Amino acid sequence: MNQTPRTVNRILLGLFGLILMLAGGLAMTLGVPAVARWWQTTAAQAGEAIDGVLDATTLAGQRDSWLWIVVALLMVLLVILMLAWVANQGKGRSGTLAYDDDADPVPGSVTINAAVAEQALKAALSERVDLVNSAVSTYEFRGKPALKVRVFPRQGVAPYVVAEEVSTLVAALDEVLGVQTPVLISVSSGARSRFTRAERVR
Amino acid sequence: MTDDTTRLTSEVIRREMHSSRAVPATIAAVLVILVCLYVMLEAALKALGQEPWLLGPETAAGWVGSLPEGVSPTVLAAAGALLFLVGLFFFLAAVLPGRRARLSIPNERTAVVVDAEVLASSLARRARIAAGVAPEQVLVTIGRRLVDVQVRPTSGIPVNDGAVRAAVEDELRRTAVEPVPEVHVIVAKSGVIGQ
Repeated sequence: MNQTPRTVNRILLGLFGLILMLAGGLAMTLGVPAVARWWQTTAAQAGEAIDGVLDATTLAGQRDSWLWIVVALLMVLLVILMLAWVANQGKGRSGTLAYDDDADPVPGSVTINAAVAEQALKAALSERVDLVNSAVSTYEFRGKPALKVRVFPRQGVAPYVVAEEVSTLVAALDEVLGVQTPVLISVSSGARSRFTRAERVR
Repeated sequence: MTDDTTRLTSEVIRREMHSSRAVPATIAAVLVILVCLYVMLEAALKALGQEPWLLGPETAAGWVGSLPEGVSPTVLAAAGALLFLVGLFFFLAAVLPGRRARLSIPNERTAVVVDAEVLASSLARRARIAAGVAPEQVLVTIGRRLVDVQVRPTSGIPVNDGAVRAAVEDELRRTAVEPVPEVHVIVAKSGVIGQ
């Protein structure tokens, strides 16, 4: 429902996991003498190559290579990218339920605030005794507004009954607004539904 | 309902049935950020010609290159195994399908996604009424293709497992879960007293 970059999550997590697994696997096999010898010669060669690059990039009169500044800047860039990645998790809440600026039949624009649907549904759901709690939020999904209705029924309440009745409310909302948005009804269990009494006299 | 809404609705269902991996992603990002900040600090100190804070780049590289010298083999292997397991955790999070314990119920207008726990508690209620026992005596577990109903009868009062199965199957049919899971009813041999 939200705009969490799921493909990016999978690719980056897979890459991160692979790198850690390779490093861990190498550390585990270093106990074997043959692997240890191979590792030490390879590391020595790589070290010489890096030393050569560092010497070549050291400006006259300077003690160290300017590559260290590049490394520091690269790290800053990586930190910024990681922060952007985290900031994109669970993104996508929106405040607009419907927007129309067609010049036909009358010029002008109409905006319906997300709070209209959220408060109407929330008020209708709060009267029900078979629900412990409910939450309604609006997301922008694939560039279109979409509603998410989360209901927490009491223990033992049949989910199909709740779903049926909430979707009747949604149909009523469609009639009132005159627009149809995708709606998700998520029937969940939370700590409150787990610990409250199963039934009440109705 | 318009075609566009139908398409988006089915997409929403598919998305809601799978994990977004936001939690492992955030953990991985924080780890990378911490490492990057440290490397940045040491690289900046080096660039400015200052003394290293904890470990200079050359010392660190030399230490890594001379492994396994200077470290006890057990410690090295244990650290490697730990690193490998952490990597495996992230790798599996990325590769596994990440299905959530949720079911989708067909609905004409909306996308309906139900936590398996909610359905289990409604099945348990039906099973309990059919068996005539207290809530604590019924345990329902929902798998992808199997619903397991465990009933502990009250001592001396037999439980009709056919009736329990019929009640649970009826509730499943009303819920219209796809695909219809198989129902297994297990009545415990020993009863409980004083319920």
